[in-house]
Amino acid sequence: MYDANLNFIFRNPTKIIFGKGSANEVLEEVEALKGKKVLLVTDKFLEKSEMVEKVKKSLSNKFAGMFSDIEPDTGVHIVNKGADYARSIGADCIVTVGGGSSIDTAKGIAIVLELGGKIEDHSGINFLTKPITPHIVIPTTAGTGSEVTYAAVIKDHAKHRKLLYADNYIVPNVGILDPLMTISMPPNITAGTGMDAMSHCIEAMHSQQATPITDGLALQGIRLIVEYLPKAVDNGKDIMARGQMQIGANLAGVAFGNAQVGVVHALAHSVGGRFGVPHGVANSILLPYCIEYNLDAVADKYKLAAQAMGVDIKGLSDEAAAHKAAEAIWTLTKRVKMPQKLREVGVKEDGLQQVAEDAISDGSIVYNAKSIFDPKETLKILKQAF
Amino acid sequence: MAIPFPSEEWVAVYKEKINSNPNYKESGANWEHGTIALVIQFDQDTLEKIKKDPVLGKQMHEGETSVGAWLDLYHGVCKEAKRVTAEEAQNAKFVIAGDYSRWKSVMKKELDPVKGMMQGKLKLKGDLPTIVRFVKAAQDLVDSATMVDTKFIDE
Repeated sequence: MYDANLNFIFRNPTKIIFGKGSANEVLEEVEALKGKKVLLVTDKFLEKSEMVEKVKKSLSNKFAGMFSDIEPDTGVHIVNKGADYARSIGADCIVTVGGGSSIDTAKGIAIVLELGGKIEDHSGINFLTKPITPHIVIPTTAGTGSEVTYAAVIKDHAKHRKLLYADNYIVPNVGILDPLMTISMPPNITAGTGMDAMSHCIEAMHSQQATPITDGLALQGIRLIVEYLPKAVDNGKDIMARGQMQIGANLAGVAFGNAQVGVVHALAHSVGGRFGVPHGVANSILLPYCIEYNLDAVADKYKLAAQAMGVDIKGLSDEAAAHKAAEAIWTLTKRVKMPQKLREVGVKEDGLQQVAEDAISDGSIVYNAKSIFDPKETLKILKQAF
Repeated sequence: MAIPFPSEEWVAVYKEKINSNPNYKESGANWEHGTIALVIQFDQDTLEKIKKDPVLGKQMHEGETSVGAWLDLYHGVCKEAKRVTAEEAQNAKFVIAGDYSRWKSVMKKELDPVKGMMQGKLKLKGDLPTIVRFVKAAQDLVDSATMVDTKFIDE
């Protein structure tokens, strides 16, 4: 299961605060980070919501201004505009209330605010030269794990490219997981983001960079998601389910933030890029097919995952149990009414070849359990998932 | 006889090994994305040892703390390989920089070069997706380096 020469560095620097109503503690955290003027980052949809109003009120006189010009796939123009605004109000601390796009935008603003220039000047892996503006994240979804991850993806729409920012300095200082902040998520978004978290768990486990620590986190993430995702989808006001989903997604975030992801994300990024399929939906459809693809390399890991999903693995070989893991994912995705095939979400068969080729260039694929060099391999998975 | 890394002689033999590696010929067959420079950054201890080395000492310029190996690769062939200064290396299409110890780990196959870039252990200036697409070629380039009878200055 692990290499005899196993060696790794595990990081988890984000302070996590969990609990119903914990968003009210934001001021204390701003003060602990010595923030005097807070830029609140959120999206247009949430801008006037009760949730954002509550956070704004909690920030009291530290609230300096709000930036809400966020789009689903954030871009360099948005980040630079946000950074200009942050400078104009003298912000020295950022609080984000939102999902993945808002959090990535805020990560970008935090970089530019401290290091100057434009966000395009700072892309790459470990290119930041010093800590960036303090950042507190209050997620309104339970899936991305962005409150604990070291990366942000920001599109340069003019040049049709995605810029990756990956650096330990990007990891937010504080993540406040308040179940009340996620109760307004509709069932389909709850299911999609929840399956994103499940994919993070499984991908962290089948990554070539998996460790006993990340596997432990991922397995507990799987247990929580399997139990509480259907409950959160069925009843969005179920605070217990919402909270446990936040914790599950957070565990998944720490796991994949250290172990990385693999072919599921490589394909999901490519399907999203070509056909606009939401990230969680793409992950959800592709995950079981990727388990089947990787099965001969990491059946022992999938056996553990199957067990964590409540499958009775007694007497089963690793391979048989691993098939059960894929089946358990299908059972879960059907239960939460997620699409089962790529054709159901607007993917065209004649575009599969291009998606397969795009995926080979995606950084995530480097860590996949089985090394993939040939688009014929990714195409095989796509055809099955189509 | 073992050749000190990263001397001019070492880079020259490295070119020969790349061009005699059938695996690289195949995995790099579609590479038409330009030159790659490997920049090796030395710590103070290693620099002191380099100064004392009869080969490397002469090739190091005054005040230099890093050097580059310039590879002009095209369709599975290394057309040119030369030692360059770190400044000259910046003109390559792709620049991969790292500490001497990191490069040593790569050459001993303890660190996969592409994973090293993804983890920030090696810093890439250039388009990451292009490099990711050539993971196998990168590994074959490393394999070629391991075929050079190498003398590490700190061993």
